[in-house]
Amino acid sequence: MAFIKLDSASKIYETAQALRGVDLEVEQGQWLNIVGPSGSGKSTLLNVIGGLDSLSSGNVVIDGAEITGLSEDAMAVFRRERIGFVFQQAHLIPYLNAVENVMLSQYFHSMSDEDEAIEALKRVGLGHRLTHRPSQLSGGEQQRVCIARALINSPKLLLADEPTGNLDRENTRIILELLKKLHQEEHFTIILVTHDPFVSQWGQRIITMEDGKIKCDEFICYL
Amino acid sequence: MVFSVAIGTAMAASLIALSMDVSSKVSNELRAFGANILVEPKIEGLADITGQKRYLRQDDIVKSKVIFWRHNILGVAPFLESEATSVFGGKKEHVKLLGIWYSKKLPLPGETETFEAGVKSVSPWWNVNGAWPDSNSRNVAVGVSFASRSGVKKGDSLKLDGADFVVSGIVDTGGAEDDQVLMDIDTLQEFKGLRGKVSKVLVSALTTPMDEFAYKDQTTMSKAEYEKWYCTGYVTSIAKQLEEVFHNSRVKPIWQVAATEGKVLEKLSFLMYLLCFISLSASALGVSTTMIMSLLRRVDEIGLMKAVGADSAKIIAIFLSEGVVIGIAGGFAGYLLSIGAAKFIGIKVFNTAFEHRAVLFPVALGSALFISLSGMVLPIKRALRIKSAVVLKGSE
Repeated sequence: MAFIKLDSASKIYETAQALRGVDLEVEQGQWLNIVGPSGSGKSTLLNVIGGLDSLSSGNVVIDGAEITGLSEDAMAVFRRERIGFVFQQAHLIPYLNAVENVMLSQYFHSMSDEDEAIEALKRVGLGHRLTHRPSQLSGGEQQRVCIARALINSPKLLLADEPTGNLDRENTRIILELLKKLHQEEHFTIILVTHDPFVSQWGQRIITMEDGKIKCDEFICYL
Repeated sequence: MVFSVAIGTAMAASLIALSMDVSSKVSNELRAFGANILVEPKIEGLADITGQKRYLRQDDIVKSKVIFWRHNILGVAPFLESEATSVFGGKKEHVKLLGIWYSKKLPLPGETETFEAGVKSVSPWWNVNGAWPDSNSRNVAVGVSFASRSGVKKGDSLKLDGADFVVSGIVDTGGAEDDQVLMDIDTLQEFKGLRGKVSKVLVSALTTPMDEFAYKDQTTMSKAEYEKWYCTGYVTSIAKQLEEVFHNSRVKPIWQVAATEGKVLEKLSFLMYLLCFISLSASALGVSTTMIMSLLRRVDEIGLMKAVGADSAKIIAIFLSEGVVIGIAGGFAGYLLSIGAAKFIGIKVFNTAFEHRAVLFPVALGSALFISLSGMVLPIKRALRIKSAVVLKGSE
C-alpha cells in the first residue's frame, strides 16, 4: 500500500483552480521532487499533503490515515507526529538561538530535550553554532537549523518547499548532500518542491506540474 | 504593553482606593453643612397635652462619645432656650434667649483626653463680630437682626429681666439666632435656674449612606438583621444609640441633611466605579491594540508554530502565558503607581492622604490580569485564524 495516496485531489480558490483532479501515489522512503512553473500548483500540492491546506474535493491518505476533513487541531496533531517541514525562508524565531529553535518543535511534539536538540544540530554540521541567533547565521546555516528542526521528532515524511531557493549553488549542494545523507540513514519520505533543474535531479522521482495537473511522472537515478 | 497595563491598573486601583475612602472623606466634608441628628426631650403623656417644658440632662452630652459609633461623632452642641424682657435705650422688648457653647472642651469618659463640643463643631459658619460670650462673665452676643432693630452695639449694656449684661459681639448665623440673644449655656442655666438642663442637642455624625436595608422597619427585623443594622453607621442606627444614652430623649435624623448626604455619596460611589470600569476597559483595549500590532509582526512565527504542530490550545496557552506575565508585571507597577496617585488625589482634593490598604494589592493584581487577559481575546482570535500555508509562503 502506498505511503501517500491522493485521489482526484482538487483545490479551487476564489479566483483560480490550483489542483485539478490529481492522482498520486508515493512509496514509503521515496524522494520525490515536484517541479513546474509558477502557478502550476506544486506548492498547493505540498500544502495539501502536509495538511496546511484542505482539498475542495478528492481525498488524501498518508500512512494509512485519511486526513481529508480533519479539523485544524487534529491536523496539527497529525503534522507534529508524522511530518517535518522545511520552507524557502528559514522562518526561525529571531529571539531564540539555534538550539532553542530546534527545541520549539520538540515542545509542540512532546517534551523539550536540549541534548537531543544539540545532537540534531551536530548531525547537520552546526555543532559549533549552537547558541547563535538566526541573525548570526548564514542562509545555508539557517536552512540547516530548519532541517534539524524538521527532523528532530523523527517524522516519516519531510516536506520541503524550495528549501534551497534563497541559497547559492555551493550552499544548495551542501543542503542537498545533507538531505541525501539523512534520507539514506533514516529512510523517511521526502517530497521537495523546486523550480531549479539542478535540485530536481537529486532524488528518485520527479513529477512535473502544469496547470494543476501532473503532466509528467518519471523515476530517475538516485544521485 | 506592561506600561499600558500599569497605567490602567494604577487608575483602577487608585479609583478603588478613593471609592473605599471617599465616603468618609466626602461625608466629613459634608459635615460642614451642619448637624444631621437632633436630640430632643421625650414629651409624652400629660406633658404632651399641657405643653409643659421638658429638658435633657447636660451630663448626658459626654455619653455621646461612649456609644458604638463614638468615633463617628464629630460634633455635639447643646442648646438651652428661654425667654426674657430686654431693655435698651428705654425700649422694652420680648426676646428669645439661647444658651450655647461656642467651643468647650469636655472630658472623654474614662479617658484623659477631651473632645470639643459646641456650635463650632456643628455649625462652623456661625460668625461673630466681637467675642463669643464665655461662662465666667455676664456677656451676651446679640443676633444681627436684633442688633439692627434695637440699635444695640458691641460693648453696650443690655438689661435682661432687670439684670445687666454686656454685649460682647454681634452674631450672624443666617438663621433664627439672628433675632435672639445668645449667652453661655452655663450663664443662662444660672440666670434662669435651670442648672444642668438643656433644651436640645445637635449632633454631627459621619454616617453610612442610607440604603434599602437601612429604611427597613426595626420592629420587623430578625435578630441578625437588627445586629447588622445596629452595627452599620446609618444615621438611624447612630440616632438609636444616642437615644439609648440620652435620658428620656427622642433622637431623630435631620432628614434633609442625611438624605442629601446619602444621595451625594451614592452617586459619587457609582461615578467612581463607573470610572474604574472605563479605565479598565480602556486599558484592556490599549493592550489589545498593542497585542494585535505585535501579532502582525509575529504572524510568521505563529504560522510556523502551527506548521510544526501547535494546535489551538497551545497557541492560546502561549498568548495567555504572555498575558499573565504582562499582567503580573503591570500589576506590580500599577500597584506602586496607585499608592502615589491615591495619595496625590487625597491631598489635592481632601487635604489628607488616603489610607494605604493592603487589600489594594490583590485588587491591583486582579485588575492587571483582567486588563491583560481580556486584552488578549481579540489577538488570540486573530492568531487562531492565521493560515500557515499563506503566511509561510503564499498560495499559488
